[in-house]
Amino acid sequence: MKKKYFLVLMAACCYSVTFSQNTETKSSNKSSFSQLINNFSGALESNAQWYLDDPKTGDFEEEENIRANSYLRINGFFLKDFTVGIQVESYAPKPLLNYDREFDKELSLAQYFINYKTTKVDATAGYFYTQFGSGLILRAWEDTALGLNNSIRGGKVIYSPFDFLEITGLYGSQRRGFDVSDSDIMAFNTELNIDNLLKSDFFDELSLGLSYLNRNQKYISTNDQVNQDMVHIPKNVGSYSARLGVSFKDIYTNIEYVYKGKDTRLNNIIPNVVSFSENKLFDGNALLFNLGYSAKGFGINYTFRRLENMSFYSQREDGNLINNPTNRATLNYLPALTKQHDYTLANIYLYQAQPGLSVENYESPRVKAGEIGNQIDIFYKIKKGSALGGKYGTKISANFSYWAALNVEVSDPDGMPFFSSDNLTYKSDFFNFKNKLFTDFNIEIKKKWSRKFSSIFTFIDLYYNTDYLVEANGTNISAWIGVAESTYKFGKGKSIRLEAQHLATNDDARNWVGGTLEFFFNSNFGLYFNDSYNYEDSPVEENRKIHFFNVGGSFTKGATRIGLNYGRQRGGLICVGGVCRPVNKNTGITLNLNTSF
Amino acid sequence: MKKLILFCALLITFSSFSQDQVLETSIKTLKGETTSLKKIISQNDLIILSLWATWCVPCINELDAITDVYEDWQDETNVELVAVSVDDSRTVNRVRPLVNGRDWEFKILLDTNNDLKRALNTTTVPLTLIIKNGEIVFRHSGYTPGAENALYEELKKHI
Repeated sequence: MKKKYFLVLMAACCYSVTFSQNTETKSSNKSSFSQLINNFSGALESNAQWYLDDPKTGDFEEEENIRANSYLRINGFFLKDFTVGIQVESYAPKPLLNYDREFDKELSLAQYFINYKTTKVDATAGYFYTQFGSGLILRAWEDTALGLNNSIRGGKVIYSPFDFLEITGLYGSQRRGFDVSDSDIMAFNTELNIDNLLKSDFFDELSLGLSYLNRNQKYISTNDQVNQDMVHIPKNVGSYSARLGVSFKDIYTNIEYVYKGKDTRLNNIIPNVVSFSENKLFDGNALLFNLGYSAKGFGINYTFRRLENMSFYSQREDGNLINNPTNRATLNYLPALTKQHDYTLANIYLYQAQPGLSVENYESPRVKAGEIGNQIDIFYKIKKGSALGGKYGTKISANFSYWAALNVEVSDPDGMPFFSSDNLTYKSDFFNFKNKLFTDFNIEIKKKWSRKFSSIFTFIDLYYNTDYLVEANGTNISAWIGVAESTYKFGKGKSIRLEAQHLATNDDARNWVGGTLEFFFNSNFGLYFNDSYNYEDSPVEENRKIHFFNVGGSFTKGATRIGLNYGRQRGGLICVGGVCRPVNKNTGITLNLNTSF
Repeated sequence: MKKLILFCALLITFSSFSQDQVLETSIKTLKGETTSLKKIISQNDLIILSLWATWCVPCINELDAITDVYEDWQDETNVELVAVSVDDSRTVNRVRPLVNGRDWEFKILLDTNNDLKRALNTTTVPLTLIIKNGEIVFRHSGYTPGAENALYEELKKHI
């Protein structure tokens, strides 16, 4: 019961802190004691939900209908070069719906670190975050909105002996809920700035990066029968990355290749039971290429990526995404390289990268080995004063992305209809785009009509291969979305924004309509209402003819932000920040609180 | 629980803090070189720092709005705007073409694994700071249409 008051207490604390900050007068003669205390900084974040029964969508059927995820971070600075920090986390009485269930404590010290930093050395003991290159080989990071934290507990040293060289070495175990994974991670990284080394100005950037990562995890067989064909499954699985970045005048490019050593593959015979295929080992690789050009008023960027068997978890069993929908304890960062849309209806059919190797057993086994695809972005500003530019200029951005599944040839000597065997192997084409999974063409035009009035128009045309990306049912979706929004400024921070959206498709749940109305009284306080409504009859009944609305407001003052919201969330695949997870419909009140001090 | 109360009590009593280590956090230039805010602010005594991302519509609206008045601001206050992108590798390649395509004249830096964002204890972008002589004197998170005017009023207090 005590714990229920935790949130209230935390909130009370931070209000007092903000208050004290506002009223405090700066004194120039600080005592040494207060200076010591003044070397602390911190932040509090709390996201609470009160789930309610809804006559339209049904009662809330899980236990604990008031839940909150809260994070308190405190950092202390001392002796000029040292920083210490702790992070206390609370998931009380349970984590919010759709968050990782491994966050299973009501209140606990989750992370701590001590860091020593000078111009040449940056050393951390305890929990740390890191990224090598683009993260294709290693990225440890945190996103509280996604409930994701895969920091590493151990030690990390970054040493920069010269201005052209940076070397990183680290050792530890990756965080998994409030615990760490039962594996050891060892990794090294070198960044070489050739430009600085040769003291040349010819290139704006010429850099080389080399990384190595090793995961040491003992393999424990899940097979209860004696397997004569079982191969030796390595305890150490390594991956290697090489990167080159070049920038010359207005042109820039970078290329990265990653090789991942051989490991077992997951066996998906019974989807939520973790088992591995022990007869064959598979390696993986990734290739990323980027080329861009930009000059005043114009920019273009092209990205190509191919991923084959690149999912890499610090515990093999987390590769089973049915048991791990939040993607906990991933070692590398493999985001979908598509435009990240902001509008509600543009986030219904969202692509997620398909990096892993898995076998689906329906009529004939389908081997999913990875993805290949590309995207292009263009940004252009029509000049002020021209016919189309008008008084303020018109800003246009467009994006096109195309993603396909790797084309594979499967051989399975012992397979039977509906079931693959442990002797399954495959071969993949290196450069074949024919198995289309997702395309998105979108264009956005931003026009300022006058000092007070501006509009944004967005058009999206997309294709989504449901059969491959959701479930093998032979369907796919072609849809277009149109959005128009306008903002009018009254002055003194008062403004109104109106947004209308429509999604049109003859597939899946057919057409949706949506909109937002937002009113800001000043730059600190605003209210909003938004709604999306699936108005057509279709075989997909889950969300049909129900208003999925949100009404709420937010208040910001200095470093504090409070948001309060009442709304109904649609069911299905919900994607935030590029991560999608299946959710049930729910209705409730949400309170978000952020402050730092 | 008791410890937590103690901590809170401690924080209520004393709250401002030394920002040196925060400003020393490593960030990258568009050319891939490592730098820090401390180095940047040593070149100019009045800075607006904006933490933004290519996927954040209010962030882009804020920087677009400031672009329209930036010359006037610079003439009158000699301020420099430093826009630190918190885009991770999913979207970081969009930063350069977007900045040029929208004709922004700001100094652009990258915080790809959000080290600075974390050091500044922020969870949402945009975050806008005014840094005067190396000290953070104003902090605001979020952007609402027209908020650039309030920012300018605040800025004038620190000339």
